[in-house]
Amino acid sequence: MAANQHTLLLDRGNLKRRNRFNKAVEIAATVAAGIAVAVLVIVVGSVFLNGVDALSWHFLTTPTALFGESGGGISNAIVGSAIMVAVAAVIAIPIGILVAIFTTEFASPRVAHPIRFVLDILNGVPTIITAIFIYGLIVIPQGKQSGFAASIALAIVMLPIVARTGQEVLSLVPGALKEGAHALGIARWRSTLRITIPTAAGGLITGSLLAVARVAGETAPMLFLSSIVAQGVQTDPSQPLASIPYFIFQASESPKPEAHTEAWAAALVLIAFVLALNIFARAFYARSRKRMGA
Amino acid sequence: MSKRLLSVIVAALALSVALAACGSSSSDSSSSGSSSGGGANSPLVGAGSTLVAPLMSKWQSDFNSKAEITVTYGAIGSGGGIEQITSRTVDFGASDAPLTEEQFEEADAQGEVVQIPWALSGTVPAYNLEGGPKGLKLNGEILSGIYLGTITSWDDPAIAKLNPGASLPATKITPVYRSDGSGDTYAFTNYLSTVSPEFESQVGTSTQVKFPTGVGAEKNDGVAAAIGQTDGAIGYVGLAYAASNELSVPLVENSAGAFPEPGVKSVEAAAAAVEEIGANNEISLAELPSTAEGAYPISTYTYVIVPLETEKATEMKKFIEYAITEGQSYGPDLEFAPLPKQVIAADKEAIAKIGG
Amino acid sequence: MEAGTLSNPVLRARRNLTDRIGDPLLRGLAGLAAVVAVAALAGIVYEVIHLAWPAIKEFGLGFITTNDWNPVTKRFGAAPFLYGTVVTSLIALLLAAPLSIAISIYLTELAPRRIMRPVATLVDMLAAIPTVILGLWGILVLGPFMRDTIEPALHSVLGFLPIFDGDPSAFGYLTAALILTIMITPIITSVTREVFETVPGDLKEASYALGATRWEMIRQVVLPYSRPGIVGATILGLGRAIGEAIAVAQVIGGANLINASLFHTGGTLAAQIASQYSNSAGLQKASLAYLGLILLVFAVVVNVIARIIVQRGRIKDIDDYDIGVVATQAQSL
Repeated sequence: MAANQHTLLLDRGNLKRRNRFNKAVEIAATVAAGIAVAVLVIVVGSVFLNGVDALSWHFLTTPTALFGESGGGISNAIVGSAIMVAVAAVIAIPIGILVAIFTTEFASPRVAHPIRFVLDILNGVPTIITAIFIYGLIVIPQGKQSGFAASIALAIVMLPIVARTGQEVLSLVPGALKEGAHALGIARWRSTLRITIPTAAGGLITGSLLAVARVAGETAPMLFLSSIVAQGVQTDPSQPLASIPYFIFQASESPKPEAHTEAWAAALVLIAFVLALNIFARAFYARSRKRMGA
Repeated sequence: MSKRLLSVIVAALALSVALAACGSSSSDSSSSGSSSGGGANSPLVGAGSTLVAPLMSKWQSDFNSKAEITVTYGAIGSGGGIEQITSRTVDFGASDAPLTEEQFEEADAQGEVVQIPWALSGTVPAYNLEGGPKGLKLNGEILSGIYLGTITSWDDPAIAKLNPGASLPATKITPVYRSDGSGDTYAFTNYLSTVSPEFESQVGTSTQVKFPTGVGAEKNDGVAAAIGQTDGAIGYVGLAYAASNELSVPLVENSAGAFPEPGVKSVEAAAAAVEEIGANNEISLAELPSTAEGAYPISTYTYVIVPLETEKATEMKKFIEYAITEGQSYGPDLEFAPLPKQVIAADKEAIAKIGG
Repeated sequence: MEAGTLSNPVLRARRNLTDRIGDPLLRGLAGLAAVVAVAALAGIVYEVIHLAWPAIKEFGLGFITTNDWNPVTKRFGAAPFLYGTVVTSLIALLLAAPLSIAISIYLTELAPRRIMRPVATLVDMLAAIPTVILGLWGILVLGPFMRDTIEPALHSVLGFLPIFDGDPSAFGYLTAALILTIMITPIITSVTREVFETVPGDLKEASYALGATRWEMIRQVVLPYSRPGIVGATILGLGRAIGEAIAVAQVIGGANLINASLFHTGGTLAAQIASQYSNSAGLQKASLAYLGLILLVFAVVVNVIARIIVQRGRIKDIDDYDIGVVATQAQSL
């Protein structure tokens, strides 16, 4: 590096060239960012333009049509997805937060570190593998698919997200708060529940919302765990339930243009939900961080 | 504020859990209860063949209104149907391909199963050729050449010979096949293996084979989509799919040297030419006598596979009975031929065995 | 903090029953949760090995190099899908890595404050798009575009190369690789951005003081400083790419053979499992689980390596903490 510094000190008369090259790089970087934004606009734009026509109140409130018929909608898929994601959230969020509490409040670094490691690995497990796991664990012994099995798979996908963001946020809670509580003789469980968690609540909620956004669009588990569904709107999670991602997947492989339009419309609904949730979660966190005095 | 928000969210989640729990408990009570009005009978869950799916759809709604039993069906391909019924993750499996000995062994592991032919249709090598004629004449040799990769262009002399006077563009042929476990694959490869020893040795007959060339797609829908999107593509699909997607349908030469129009009539003729029913109710329509002039050479039965011992024996028997009698009336509109009398008789015998 | 929580505990000399139960209870529940998390991972590994066992017994390690997938002769091998996974992921990396670095440079060094936040958010949003929608777009928009425009162009200019030799097709390795590129660019970008932001300002200032242009400063200070982070980010992206099943299954065409041409249809480990698992039985199903085992090992190893490299290269300053970044990484990895 020393050699480079020396060449900079000398004006070798190539300043123009260096500046031009610099300009070229700057343009390239800007173009790159432009490409990324353009791709986003193109993809979301395609979904919007192709799907908005089919999007109607009828579409949202009618179940999927029978095989070979048209004029159906995605009401059963919306309800099914909502139920499966809700059940997954009820399972994953408390467990995820508890894991985060464990690693930040109770565990020694010797124990916390491997657990963090395990969570990272869990995060990197392809969801298709998680789907196989639950298929072997639940579907085969039970002799049937179920929305519940899909929820467990989704919960496994959510868990590392909730736990990791939870860990990050809990470790940001000022030590002074916790020590103060301890000095006043407040029991650990009380201070954790009444002081630490509320202080970190913004981040915990954000992490949970982001995890929900992540699994709302998960398709792989649906393939094996909740794909053979009955007609009409079903609400029983012990039976397979329709889901928006699986609907899109199936419709995308159909030869009929009507099915494609329905796929775009369902994709529009899903993308709107996921993106809105994402933006809201981040904005929420930014606001709560400001109030936290960070 | 954050605490309140937290409790609101917890309450909302708890509410959804409660709803979900209510949903499951109410259905538990309805399925364990004895007969009462509407839908209290156990639903039948099945999966498998996409060939029979259009007909199944009609059966589902009609049967539901007549017998008030809900039938749920997942059209995942015959291979999937066999797999699911073997592991008993569904109540019945549907497959165009009869079970092999090995598959029977595996399926019987959890209790004997019975195989019942309940519909009759055909697989047709539909194609998409811009500038090409409709109703192109093809034969077994050409088809196996296409799928073996020896015939690669639509203006191949073999095709020209069979279609004198037709203007054939020099488009490349793209064979499309089923990448999932498919009864259509079984029917098609069964036919090709019968007419071409080379095909039999190189590829063989099964629900899933390794084609040396071509593009794979899933389910009848996927193949139909692939054909429609690619100029020069040819792929085997169930008759109903070729019709509903308006794909070009060729005339395939049969063992009598004739080129019958693929459809209900020619499928019926093929079934009439084969009276023999196998030990497990399997019937192959690939080898047709040379006297069957009007027979369509790639016809196929499609079967339902049910365990003899099942809690839902009553409903299952009702449904299969319905399918082979009243249900058949929906067939012709969807390119399904009516079951021959001797098959219905054999079926009724098999149905009687269900439920011990 | 509310006043009510502090009443009385100071005055109580000994802990009451609730506290005596509460502490161990919370600790126990939290510990239980941690056990659940570990058990989930252990369960996954166990179950995949268990389901793959018949195939492992039948084929042994030779499975990995067998270039065959024949349900009729019952001979199965992973080679075609390993090939597909490696090819599509590598191409995606080759395209995404420079792109991501360029984007990160823009966001950290070039963009004015007002533009930086929205653009960064937009790039992060790309990571949030469900992959099935990317696959839908791939089938209906990108695929035909590849078949009608890009691939013929590549073929006419570079057709002498085996990888661009062959008929243009909407579905195949190249289309899948492009979809993967779109998928992993936001991931690599977010980690790289975070790493770039930790470069000490003094070093950058020093470089400028010595007369460097912005690019020269980046090349001499930011990039070398961030190298472990960039490498780690790229490997994280790789991990995401190899595990993607749905979008790839939608656009890769489902062939079971290795093919030199990038236009040709093919398969990857994840996509093959997605297409075939519920359709197959017996040895074939076990072979798919064996593919899953290979995929799992591959994904875990890649992820672990990436994490180690990123951790080593990252110095986290509390004020620089951005949950959006962590969340993007956490949710898309």
